[in-house]
Amino acid sequence: MSLLTLRRNFFNVHVITTTKIYRENCLNEAKTEGKSELIPSIKFRHSCLLRNQRCIAAYLYDRLLRIRALRWEYGSVLPTTIRFHMCAEEMEWFNQYKKSLATYMRSIGGEEGLDITQDMKPPKSLYIEVRCLKDHGEFEIDDGTVILLKKNSQHFLPRWKCEQLIRQGVLEHVIS
Amino acid sequence: MCKKQIWRHRRNTETLSIKQQGLCFKTRTNAEVIIFFIHLNFIRLNFNMFVTDIRKEFYDVVVNQRVALFVSPDIDALCACKVLQALFHCDQVQYTLVPVAGWQDLGTAFMEHKEQYQYFVLINCGANVDLLETLQPEEDSVFFICDTHRPVDVVNVYNDTQIKLLIKQDDDLGVPSYDDIFRDDEEDEEGDGDDSGNESDGSAEPSGKRRRYDEDALERRIERQRARREWEARRREILFDYEQYEFHGTSAALVMFELAWVMSKDTKDMLWWSVIGVTDQWVHDKIPHMKYVTDIATLQRHVSRHNHRNEDEENSLSIDCMRITFEYDLRLVLYQHWSLYESICNSCYTSCSFKLWSINGQKKLQEFLADMGLPLKQVRQKFNSMDMSIKENLREVIEESANKFSMKDIRVQTFAVNFGFKNRFLASDVVHAAAALLENVEKDEMPTDNFIKALDCLSRSNLERLHLGIDLAKKKLKAIQQTVASCICTNLILSQGPFLYCHLLEGTPDVKLFSKPLALTLLCKYLLKAFICSTRNKRCKILPLIMAAPLDVEKGTVIVLGIPPESETSDKKNFFGRAFEKAAESTSSRTLHDHFDTSGDFSDAHSNFTSASSTS
Repeated sequence: MSLLTLRRNFFNVHVITTTKIYRENCLNEAKTEGKSELIPSIKFRHSCLLRNQRCIAAYLYDRLLRIRALRWEYGSVLPTTIRFHMCAEEMEWFNQYKKSLATYMRSIGGEEGLDITQDMKPPKSLYIEVRCLKDHGEFEIDDGTVILLKKNSQHFLPRWKCEQLIRQGVLEHVIS
Repeated sequence: MCKKQIWRHRRNTETLSIKQQGLCFKTRTNAEVIIFFIHLNFIRLNFNMFVTDIRKEFYDVVVNQRVALFVSPDIDALCACKVLQALFHCDQVQYTLVPVAGWQDLGTAFMEHKEQYQYFVLINCGANVDLLETLQPEEDSVFFICDTHRPVDVVNVYNDTQIKLLIKQDDDLGVPSYDDIFRDDEEDEEGDGDDSGNESDGSAEPSGKRRRYDEDALERRIERQRARREWEARRREILFDYEQYEFHGTSAALVMFELAWVMSKDTKDMLWWSVIGVTDQWVHDKIPHMKYVTDIATLQRHVSRHNHRNEDEENSLSIDCMRITFEYDLRLVLYQHWSLYESICNSCYTSCSFKLWSINGQKKLQEFLADMGLPLKQVRQKFNSMDMSIKENLREVIEESANKFSMKDIRVQTFAVNFGFKNRFLASDVVHAAAALLENVEKDEMPTDNFIKALDCLSRSNLERLHLGIDLAKKKLKAIQQTVASCICTNLILSQGPFLYCHLLEGTPDVKLFSKPLALTLLCKYLLKAFICSTRNKRCKILPLIMAAPLDVEKGTVIVLGIPPESETSDKKNFFGRAFEKAAESTSSRTLHDHFDTSGDFSDAHSNFTSASSTS
């Protein structure tokens, strides 16, 4: 899911256009006492304004949905390249979303909570075979052992440790 | 010493091969499972580190540990690796698989992984060189070596802590006995100390006795030194004889399969992989024909056991299930995936028998086809599109005609696998496909990329890759055929005294293909056979062949390969390893003996090199 930079210029232009259209509408309205010729043009401008507003709302909402998906894909810490494309308000929203998700996860599943962002597909086995697609360096697993992830090496590792890396594209699940 | 009696069930049993030191086997019937252990010769201490009970000493040790697998790039190793991976998946043994192309790669990989792993499994690498000295591991690293390269280095054999060899001991190993090679030097020193002690003791005694003591002591010392010199000379001779020739032992894939069988975890997939491993040894001329036949017989027993198990039920197997069958099939390479005509033209055996590089040869081929009654149009079509009436008795018809044209061995024992309606492969088809993928030079990819692709094509779910491999193999075989034809016709093979020599120049078409060892081996074999068929000089039949091909055009390096003389009964022992080393020393050309198979290496100033080879 890619998130491009919020199109601020577009917004600025839009705000300016909106205000222009709105002012014209007000002017026209002021002129029309009694006359009805200018009413269609007022209506027209108004519907333009409404349409622009809907477009912007849709765009912002779509961005929001993508940001929400990012939490499920990347985890709580986003890579800097993505954070670069988000504006301050979106970051704020993301943090709120993170918090509410974390509260929810803590509330279910007993004492420690249940991490529902893992195992998105039902797992078939405890360990999976993965192949390394690029040099990733060293990788530590739960019991402290370190594995060197070199290109084209294959490893047989616990599923839950590999999921993150598979999503990031460093490892590839080998099905044979 | 303890022995136990054996009960044998006649039906569905594998015959026992009693090995020297220990055997764990299993007989199985439909109704019951009986396990027996036989231990012979408990008296003799197990000085050497051939693993006797592969399950206890290898598998049970690593099953709870994390293991690093180093695998060398040949098809037998790939198959052994697949079998072992399948076993590890069963028991959830965490492992890391690293492909290693040569000694340097092995060293680097070991450096990178030695901190994290204690147990290392080496497949088809590491047995023929003193491993501890090359890698310098820590005290607690343990190496399990499953390697077909012989002779096994004596230090590896007699190391009883860090190196365990997963090698069958009924291979003709001929390892020199411990006392012939290693000797406690302390004996000597003690002896001397005793003498000097005697001398000092003797100083208190009267001088007559002392003088006698002195003389005695001196004599004894001289005697001991002489014995020691004799022992060392004999040791050098024994080691020279032992390490002179290189050859290959039982396939690694077969050893791994037998491990799986012992644990009752063998599946048809594993059996098929071990078939491919053994066939690879035969295709690339690593084992003599007799050994191939013996190994096939062993595998045949396993195949019948697996087939029998399924067909006892009332419902027979679905067509999609994997079925392995024993075949006495034609020696024509890839003929079921090609046209019959192309296959005859590009198979070493038929091409050399007909001498297809000459016009006479082409005529003979036409006669052969006419003799069988096969119309040219049919024969040039894809095999699957040939008329059913022709395909039905094809093997017998070809065998009959081949006998008339003095090709007695056109059929060979092998196995085929069927799954689904469309998919039928012979073991040699898969070997050629995998080898072509492993040494693919079309795109400039790293050797490890090719390794992964070749490993993938062995799984049944990657059929497109296998078909791609078959296409690449066809191109490779055609290139080999054309190169051989041009070499013979332009007399590129020179007789350099004790050996034949051929050098492929840079501009030769498809020469990039021959910068890889397996492809170059096939070319060498084919060329030698063709040369013997084409020349009238009887002497050439007993000469070995050395082949040189450009490896890297920019750096100007060359890959050199030597193969032993062609003979029906040859035991495929290759002496070029030592010869190349000596030649390299004497010409001081830069050589890199990087391959695990020491009969090939890279070098620079190779003209000096070959003249030195002729003298060494």
